[in-house]
Amino acid sequence: MALINVAAREIHCKIVYYGPGMSGKTSNLQYIHSQVPKETKGELLSIATETERTLFFDFLPLDLGKVRGFQTRFHLYTVPGQVLYERTRVAVLSGADGVVFVADSQKHKLEENIRSLRELAVNITRQNKRFQDFPVVLQYNKRDVPGALPVATLDKYLNTLGWQRFEATATNGAGVFDTLKAISKLVISKL
Amino acid sequence: MDPQLTSQIVPAEEIKVIEECLVRLAEDTGGNYVLLLDKSGQVITAQGDAARQDITALGALIAGTFASSREVAKLLREKDFRQLFTQGVRENIFISLIEDQWILCIIFNKGTHIGLVKVLTKKATDDLSVVLERVREQQKARDDVLGSSFRTSMEDTIDLLFRD
Repeated sequence: MALINVAAREIHCKIVYYGPGMSGKTSNLQYIHSQVPKETKGELLSIATETERTLFFDFLPLDLGKVRGFQTRFHLYTVPGQVLYERTRVAVLSGADGVVFVADSQKHKLEENIRSLRELAVNITRQNKRFQDFPVVLQYNKRDVPGALPVATLDKYLNTLGWQRFEATATNGAGVFDTLKAISKLVISKL
Repeated sequence: MDPQLTSQIVPAEEIKVIEECLVRLAEDTGGNYVLLLDKSGQVITAQGDAARQDITALGALIAGTFASSREVAKLLREKDFRQLFTQGVRENIFISLIEDQWILCIIFNKGTHIGLVKVLTKKATDDLSVVLERVREQQKARDDVLGSSFRTSMEDTIDLLFRD
């Protein structure tokens, strides 16, 4: 849940990028980090393996400055996508205010996307939150890959709850900020 | 609305009580730095060495460590690990869970005995549990705190800052 510190006039929100391994969660954060103004961002912290796969999480604090007298901060996290790190994903999800589900548009990744989304639903429910009410934005990443599944197919299998969804190519930044804007506004609307 | 989806609003007077508690803990133990975090990794307030610039990342990592230990506890069929102790060459960190919501963290050096830290942290944890209970009970409407036009201003700021 978001934290509002009335004395310091600060608001903190936690957004987690979730999805199967190699779907582009870290790439999203790296692109955001490369584009936002210096005074808005903190350091991008990555706990990765030697082969640059996320081991625990990536963390990027964003400071939006004062809005109506309140210093507003978004903390962006990614989870490690590989199947073996399921318990680690549970740990990173703890206290999240919203989730961006980064799906991989490649055909052979569809089943992994579905499995990861199911796991997310279970993990959110275990935190005593209703998954249907929980702020989620979908991102169909890797749209540039030849043979990427049609959006309608991805919708059919992944977007049964009718979330806002965006097409993206995180490596060149397409769709990254549209996704971030959507989840930020959704989280703020639930404060 | 689902209570887990609503914000936790910590009023100014409770922040003052929390700060007094943290200052007392730092002074009585001789600790260098005391932090109170939400389990999501957000720093509620911190006391001590003002030169520390890295508390946001510190908060995220400590909360991550704690959340990770909670999953280890589950695998071992342990209810919870309520405390964690990390020993360094120069500095040590002692972390204690408050109910299931907040994390109290004290950083101290060789001059402070761990036994003293454990005893005094337990006392501080008890005091902060009472504060947490009060924060949970008070049901302030968001608009009373943020003002009704907050959301519109926030959306404008998001549009302004989050772009290529």
